[in-house]
Amino acid sequence: MAGKTSLHRAALERQNAAIMAVFERAGFDQIQPDIIQPADIFLERSGEDIRARTFVFNDPAGNELCLRPDLTVPACRYHLSHTKKPEAETKYCYLGPAFRFPDELLSPQEFTQAGLEWFGDKADIAAEARVIKLAVSALEAAGLTGLKVSLGDLGLFNALLEDMPMPERWRRRLRHQFWRPQAFRNLLDTFAKPARNQRSSISKNIDALEDHDAVAETSRLLADEKLNLVTLRSVEDIASRLAEKLADRSEQPLAETMVVAIESYLKISGPLTDMTSGLKAISKTPRFLGAIAKFEQRIAALEDQGLNPRRFHFSADFGRELEYYTGLVFQIEVEARNAPLSVAGGGRYDSLLQDLGAVTSIPAVGCAIHTDRLLAVML
Amino acid sequence: MTLLTVAIPSKGRLMEQANELFERAGLKVERYGTDRGYRGRLVGIDDIEVAFLSASEIASQLRDGKIDAGITGEDLLRETIAPGNDVADVALRLNFGPADVVVAVPACWLDVAVMADLDDVAEQFYVLHGRRLRVATKYLNITRRFFAEKGITGYRIVESLGATEGAPATGTAEIIVDITTSGATLKANQLRILDDGLILKSCAVFVVNKYSAQLENMCNLLNMLGRAIVT
Repeated sequence: MAGKTSLHRAALERQNAAIMAVFERAGFDQIQPDIIQPADIFLERSGEDIRARTFVFNDPAGNELCLRPDLTVPACRYHLSHTKKPEAETKYCYLGPAFRFPDELLSPQEFTQAGLEWFGDKADIAAEARVIKLAVSALEAAGLTGLKVSLGDLGLFNALLEDMPMPERWRRRLRHQFWRPQAFRNLLDTFAKPARNQRSSISKNIDALEDHDAVAETSRLLADEKLNLVTLRSVEDIASRLAEKLADRSEQPLAETMVVAIESYLKISGPLTDMTSGLKAISKTPRFLGAIAKFEQRIAALEDQGLNPRRFHFSADFGRELEYYTGLVFQIEVEARNAPLSVAGGGRYDSLLQDLGAVTSIPAVGCAIHTDRLLAVML
Repeated sequence: MTLLTVAIPSKGRLMEQANELFERAGLKVERYGTDRGYRGRLVGIDDIEVAFLSASEIASQLRDGKIDAGITGEDLLRETIAPGNDVADVALRLNFGPADVVVAVPACWLDVAVMADLDDVAEQFYVLHGRRLRVATKYLNITRRFFAEKGITGYRIVESLGATEGAPATGTAEIIVDITTSGATLKANQLRILDDGLILKSCAVFVVNKYSAQLENMCNLLNMLGRAIVT
């Protein structure tokens, strides 16, 4: 429908005023990040999947701009341009339109997002619990009942990998593919097989590197085949990956027990407070046990906030699809007519500010509410 | 009987081969008015009008339900009509106009064999050069779908409207998604197809709008053309 009626507009404004009041009372400063953003920053950060849903256009000078598809990156950019000390603790909230080409039911191409971002938090777990509490309170202030909170924790997964003996580059690739179940599965299969049995069209290039200097040998191969070097990738870039592949051949394949541990971990799901024994059965290695302890502290922190974590749902593979998160991820759903519908989500993203230009890594945790969807499920 | 509109490519090799197909089926395609006209008919079959359009226009008119049937490339069809949108579907594969849609990388990338390598390179590239890999292509949707299926996200598409194979050498993109028949053009431009980089084995297809598929004159036409396909 082309626009909202006065009645619909008033209902949405009333609802959103209640949400923002909760955020502001909690000490979050309401800012207004720009609607029009440089496209690059989103597209370089998010990749083609978001680009396909982002409204991109050019200004007369040819610069690529976009209508913001989300408010987290604009809030980060606001922060970096308004403060001299981006690492100092800062709490923002916002309310405003975001734009995406629609892809699902109840997902209009312009929608209003309400949210908060907490930068440079010192409280870690307590801050995460606080953000979940504020999201729940805001939804309740808007009149929602019967909400369901789901959590995931990338810290557990990372700790599990850290404790397993494997080359660091394998860990990096497994973390990188965590979001993509099929690619993750393929990668795990690759690491579990002896590398020398795997042949491809570049195996001969790897063969050639044996007992030679990688860069010199790569240059020789290029010269022999009269191949011009194009793109920004240098001989060193190419040689270093060939050298990694050569090194992979002499690595022990990932032990079956570890493949099983990773797979069983990703299958864990259930009520948040019943997870500990299941997690401990996966592995009792030091970092993983440390991550479990942190997981238990988070449950306690949620209770301290007056929430009831026994009613929260945990899922180890939750968070796939949400690429910039680095630790806690959560989502709040309500029962809608056909299936549960997500009305809010958030988590920790400690590397985003640095990616966007901050000198050091700055802790960050936040959440966002899809206000139009919220109103729709309550009508 | 309902008047049907069947679209035939208006130029190039695809037009010639489509005309040969109709000839083998015993159907003469006749243009109204001059030789340059955009409408015509099939001699001997009433109630079928022929529209002469470009192959890409045929695909988009099929998507929009503006024509009942048409001959186009499967690559253009898959690019234009999303999977799951069953407004029109392939009724006959015509076994001419073969073209593979492939992912190709610079041949100098001696360390890249498969799509999974590309994901790794994309990450290395981002760390070292501060930006995403760029893929030059005219197949935006096919590329997005295939890369998503392979779990690759760290790239950007640069729309290319011609001479895509030149993009890596001229520096407008690092890799390409394009069609190839013999691979000779790719080779001449020092590009190499990835081991698992075949996205689609395309050929010319006869596509029918689902609302027109059951009509009697459409069934007749399909039978005649079906028998004329060279296997």
